[in-house]
Amino acid sequence: MDKIKKVWWLIPVVIIFLYPVTVGGKSAYWSGILVFAGIYVILAVGLDLLMGFTGQISVGHAAFFAVGAYTSAVLTVKYGFSPVLAMFAGMFLSGILAWMIGRPVLALKEYYLAMATLAFNEIIITLIVGFENITGGASGLRDIPPFSIFGLVLDNHLHYYYFVWAIVLIVIASSVLIIRSPFGRTLVAIHSDEVAARTFGVDCAKYKTRVFVLANVFASIAGSLFAHSMGFIAPDDFGVSTSVNILVMLFLGGIGTIYGPILGAIFLKLLPEITYLVQDYELLLNGVILIIVLVFMPKGIYGIFTTLRNRVFEKAGK
Amino acid sequence: MGDISHLVQFFFSGLTTGSIYALIAVSLVIVYKVSQLICFSQGEFFIFGALIMVTLTSKGIPMPLAFVLSILIAMAIGALIQQALIRPIQGSSIGALIVMTIAISLALRGLAMLIWGRESHILRPFTQGTPLQIFGATLQLQVFWIVGITAVVLLLIWLFFEKTSLGIAMRACAENPLGASLMGISVQKTALFAWAWGSGIGALAGIAVAPLMFMQYTSGVMPMVKGFIAMSIGGLSSIVGSVIAGLLLGVIESYTIGVISSKFSDTIVFALLMVVLIARPNGLFSKS
Amino acid sequence: MKKMLAISTLIFVMFLLTTNVGLTQETPKAAKEPYVIGGVFPLTGGLSWLGVYKQKGSELKVELINKAGGVNGHPLQLISYDDQSSPEQGAKVAQRLISKDKAIAIIGTASVPVSGAVASLGNKYKIPVIIGSGYSVDTQKDKFIFNTAHKTDFACARPFQYFKSKGITKVALLMPIGALGELGSTLARKYAPTYGITIVGEEKFDIKAPDVTSQLAKLRTLNPQVIFSFCTGEPAALVARNMSQMNMNIPVLVSHGNANPGFLKLVSNLSIPVIVPAGRAAAPEQVPDNDPCKKVVVEFSKAHMQKYGEPANYYSAEMVDAIDLIAAALKTAGSADGEKLRDAIEKTKGFVGMNGVYNFSSTDHHGTVLDDMMVIGIKDGKWIVLLK
Repeated sequence: MDKIKKVWWLIPVVIIFLYPVTVGGKSAYWSGILVFAGIYVILAVGLDLLMGFTGQISVGHAAFFAVGAYTSAVLTVKYGFSPVLAMFAGMFLSGILAWMIGRPVLALKEYYLAMATLAFNEIIITLIVGFENITGGASGLRDIPPFSIFGLVLDNHLHYYYFVWAIVLIVIASSVLIIRSPFGRTLVAIHSDEVAARTFGVDCAKYKTRVFVLANVFASIAGSLFAHSMGFIAPDDFGVSTSVNILVMLFLGGIGTIYGPILGAIFLKLLPEITYLVQDYELLLNGVILIIVLVFMPKGIYGIFTTLRNRVFEKAGK
Repeated sequence: MGDISHLVQFFFSGLTTGSIYALIAVSLVIVYKVSQLICFSQGEFFIFGALIMVTLTSKGIPMPLAFVLSILIAMAIGALIQQALIRPIQGSSIGALIVMTIAISLALRGLAMLIWGRESHILRPFTQGTPLQIFGATLQLQVFWIVGITAVVLLLIWLFFEKTSLGIAMRACAENPLGASLMGISVQKTALFAWAWGSGIGALAGIAVAPLMFMQYTSGVMPMVKGFIAMSIGGLSSIVGSVIAGLLLGVIESYTIGVISSKFSDTIVFALLMVVLIARPNGLFSKS
Repeated sequence: MKKMLAISTLIFVMFLLTTNVGLTQETPKAAKEPYVIGGVFPLTGGLSWLGVYKQKGSELKVELINKAGGVNGHPLQLISYDDQSSPEQGAKVAQRLISKDKAIAIIGTASVPVSGAVASLGNKYKIPVIIGSGYSVDTQKDKFIFNTAHKTDFACARPFQYFKSKGITKVALLMPIGALGELGSTLARKYAPTYGITIVGEEKFDIKAPDVTSQLAKLRTLNPQVIFSFCTGEPAALVARNMSQMNMNIPVLVSHGNANPGFLKLVSNLSIPVIVPAGRAAAPEQVPDNDPCKKVVVEFSKAHMQKYGEPANYYSAEMVDAIDLIAAALKTAGSADGEKLRDAIEKTKGFVGMNGVYNFSSTDHHGTVLDDMMVIGIKDGKWIVLLK
């Protein structure tokens, strides 16, 4: 039984791997949707490290999504960088930026922290719009080349699907490892009681800043992937509403579980597939579905899985 | 002369937008004070108030009656939502509650789109007449209404929380829910009242402001975000603080646009907010 | 149980409130497979009021073509989705239209960023996309992209031409922060010298702001003869209203695309003149009889009036022309293949549409010329033509 418990994660990995060669196959549409879903999974997992485990609320997660996307786009379009190099540049820039603002901002608590992150998100957007010579301004930046590694251009939708999901799996795996490490346990300690953690000699600010940097480097990776897969970016997709969407993904899936936000991100990105069909009722239906999920699944979508799993193992255990 | 009229004009337009932010902030503070909840659907009560008023007045119902009716309807919607949607998940984390209000906001916005369509609506100013001219600057008459309404609302809130037993009970609930329930105060009931109050004031803000704006189903988002900002500068649960912060925000915005740069005015305002938050983590007007 | 009850009552109440809105689904039945035309319209979000005009016009046009027997014996079918005014969503639905719905061409979009996102997919999959927005088509890169909206240049040049004829020389700019404002500012500076106009000053404003009197006060000191604010819908109406409240008795020039009944309603009771560049569809009766487009405009506007109870407008005209162009190209190409269709559209010459007479070429994917745009104003709550 224990063996099954340990390798259950192989099931989704196999599904992700086999999906295109079985059901998905030729549909560029579905692999496209799943690429977007994967990008949001990276964002949601990063935010979960920050919010779910360390308890630091952020309503500005899309800010570093934007930093990543725009660094990649500007460097490849205007300065002829290779996408890989541009992505690393974006990660580096995001890391530095997050490290700089991390300490003062994370000293804030709860609601004030939320407002500060929201403000930071708005600042990034207004700067992108303001410096139109570099960023293309509100009209957006076009002709971003597709991703390429070692001369292999990923312009086929299946290649891109595998590439994005490989990165998604790396991000998830490293997040799980981090959570299980002493570092992760310290984060949880800070979440449950910062004062107590401090009395044990934990430098809370240092840990919070580190996880903030990590989450935002993840967001930056997501941004680079997004820019290269869209081929065109504009500030509209990186605003506070995107940040709020990522927040919703966490709670919808089940915050503080890593796996929950993954499910939340996929659910929220697939939801339009149903609501498209009702056009005028789209907005209303989106709201109503969210409400229903929240009322009937207070622990999120992942909550159902854990309950189910526990039941199965309980029965098997008997 | 030109310069003075300039500066006066900036002050007036700051006052105009500021009073909008202030009223929204007050409605947010009311809900927060009692249920410790940041309500993301406040922007929707704002538009519901205004749009119900538009519909009622267009049906020939006199202004004052339509005014009262719109607020009552918004209060009823708020109370219904609290009962049906917030109460069942009362025990969940604050985060889940916030996401619930986001979901409610989406649903209400969708509903508003179905009822009032996608185009903008106009609400007549409460009093007709040419705007005032002071030092060569213009001040719209509706601003007096907004300022007046804000003052009356503030007075009523003060009276309510200080002088009525229900208000005192609500305050007790906010400070110590367990203690309050031991004293025989129904936490449920006070939460219900807080939502009704909050929605009512949100709607009131919408109605008061509607003649200055054009109202459509998405018009609530911007005032709500600015209301959040005013609220956090003012210190979450301080009503007076949030009113001052709202007005201040409007005036600062206006002078930034006028004197410094209209292109980066939002950058400057948000940067200012971050600085204020970092320097005074509990709000500009908090006592500590 | 209580939970269930409360929620079902709430949902029930919601639907009671919305019973007057019905869902209409039409699937044309015909001998041959329908040609699918994809529509990308903003149906929710800030620009949704505009998206609906486009969707309505497109639906009616498809209906009319099918009534007349379709194209090459095939009926047309319009499948449209909401882009939520977001580029990401626009790209997603365009991808859906291309790979899932097998659209032969795509029409729609209303904002420059969403157009950019949809255009990049059209180019990638070699599917013709006919947009109707301020997006400027770069024929070097946008091989598959066409635009039936008049060139944004015209929306500035044409009114400036009108100003010149009226002896107006001093224009102040009040531009919204964003794509449209950036464009407006560039254009004004580009065309001012041509028409002997001086730009006396420029201010920016946030389209979500409820008040622009600060900016106006600043501009007023420069003594302009016209305020040029390149924005659409509510912000444009706000500028006009604030000017009227401040007793600035000079005209305001706003963007093309404000020529629609919704905007007219917002500004018709103001004391200052509002000037709008527009297409013929804005005032069908006022188009001179010798105009080649008159018949097309009047006929469609009539049908629009019959079906929706309101006249067609500039937005619907863009989409109607787009569908018409696709239908014509399908006939000449005799095939729905993306590249053949594109070539056929590019070779279209002298095509009489609602927005003008289209002449496409490998270097011009807009097709219309400066004279195809009119300048209109408002009198007694109705549009009047100022310059034709």
